[in-house]
Amino acid sequence: MDFSTLNTAEQAHMSRVIEKKQMQDFMRMYSRLVDRCFNACCNDFTSKALSSKEEQCVLNCTDKFLKHSERVGARFAEQNADMMSSQS
Amino acid sequence: MSFLGIGGNQGAPSGGVNTDKIEMATEQLDMITDVYNRLVESCHTKCISQRYTEGDLNKGESVCIDRCVAKFFEVNKKVGQKLQSLGPGATGGAGGSAFGSI
Repeated sequence: MDFSTLNTAEQAHMSRVIEKKQMQDFMRMYSRLVDRCFNACCNDFTSKALSSKEEQCVLNCTDKFLKHSERVGARFAEQNADMMSSQS
Repeated sequence: MSFLGIGGNQGAPSGGVNTDKIEMATEQLDMITDVYNRLVESCHTKCISQRYTEGDLNKGESVCIDRCVAKFFEVNKKVGQKLQSLGPGATGGAGGSAFGSI
């Protein structure tokens, strides 16, 4: 994404827009992660407390998703950069 | 392309804010964010097993993710090329049938 055509006022505006979108994105990711990990890990309702197995599963699920997201982000940036350089 | 005379901000002096440019930049940002989110979702479903025995990505999953992202971009490119090859009229006809019948 090329912000070099925007002046300083516009760049400041875009920074605020990006910050707001990042917050919204984070909230969305958080709720989907809870959904995903709950659906994958919690299938035994004989007790209302989280068993240690389920708790470990949820922690693993969260960890794994964050690492996955990070890796996808890195590859995404590479591919995007490749695509931009091949177009110009 | 000139933005002069369009919209409320005329001429965009160095301190002013050109709403057209902002809007375009925002749309581009939205598009990229959308692609990224769908990519994360798809590759997670395809590559990560649901058993969660550990918190780290194993080697198989890591390699799968790399390939998944690469393929996704390839598909993106191919679909884009195909739509372009259909010609500018086709995007209005084939894709926008709901609006074309109004």
